[in-house]
Amino acid sequence: MCIDSQMLSAYLDGELPEPYRSQVEEHLAHCSACRKHLEDMRALERKILSAEFPEDVMMRNKDSIYSFLDRKYFESGRKVSFIRRRLEVSMPSLITAAAAVVFIFIGGFMFFGSSARQTEDILPSFAMQADSSNVHFVSDTASLDSFSLEEILQYLDSKGYNVDISIKGLQPLPASSEAEE
Amino acid sequence: MEIKSTDRDDFRRIYDGNYHLIIQVIMHIVYNIEIAEDLTQEAFERFYVKNMTFPSEDDARYWLIRVAKNLALNHIRRNKREIELVEKVRHDPSASAQTRDAAASAVEADERRAVRAAIESLPENLRLVIQLKEYSGLDYRSIAKVLGISETNVKVRVYRARKKLEEALSTEDRDVY
Repeated sequence: MCIDSQMLSAYLDGELPEPYRSQVEEHLAHCSACRKHLEDMRALERKILSAEFPEDVMMRNKDSIYSFLDRKYFESGRKVSFIRRRLEVSMPSLITAAAAVVFIFIGGFMFFGSSARQTEDILPSFAMQADSSNVHFVSDTASLDSFSLEEILQYLDSKGYNVDISIKGLQPLPASSEAEE
Repeated sequence: MEIKSTDRDDFRRIYDGNYHLIIQVIMHIVYNIEIAEDLTQEAFERFYVKNMTFPSEDDARYWLIRVAKNLALNHIRRNKREIELVEKVRHDPSASAQTRDAAASAVEADERRAVRAAIESLPENLRLVIQLKEYSGLDYRSIAKVLGISETNVKVRVYRARKKLEEALSTEDRDVY
């Protein structure tokens, strides 16, 4: 049986592993059809290679491009590369760092409390008002729950608000629902 | 050996060792030496700006080839309108051939043109593989790394590309003679 073309193509490229390579060589030694096939492939490869662009044209500006890049990035550029490295911090680590700073800042107050003197150190203009003796709960015990709707309405009325309350969407219970329950 | 793209010596080594390879890769996609030089420069600038450390020279090379290939393909896609110009350049006999015997160089130029046209007509996945194989001297393993496909896939594509090129070029022969 003759050699599969794909195998021959890999053989031509020197990419056929053993033991296939030896088998192919053995077969080629006595099969002229496969030798011809391989020779055709070689001819095609030479043809393809002939379309390669000439070396001198390809390389004509190699040195000038290099010296341009060298000047741009290295000659004046050690510092530039340093700054660039500094600026290229990935987004997640930037966010993590920012969160850490905020956490430490708030945590400082949480764990060590704040006195008027400390506040004064940080925010001089804020120190007077922010003293803990000036800060108290606005609503101490009485919440809205401790007043009836009527009392709330009276209070609002006394303040000059015109409050109108209506109840929407009420439907009479169907007569049967009771029976079901 | 580790390669740091912003290190002057490393940069020089990678540039010297890969310039020819990179410009060949690009040239076989854009077919214009000025554009190829611009894009080659761009590829190396990106290499520097990327500020990466590569585990080996090979890894740096694969990265550069990938970037070069993408730059060239993007250029072609963006400049569809300039295709006629590219066509003209490709059909021109190359500058260095002019010193040789005129008739011989005309035949050679014809053949070169035919081969380039045949390669150009391949679907992109086959074209890139055969170009990297024939003009960049990369082995299957390297091509697989550059293109992010398996070595077996490279083997199959090289074979298919050859088959198609053989068909295209033998048809051309029949047309000529």
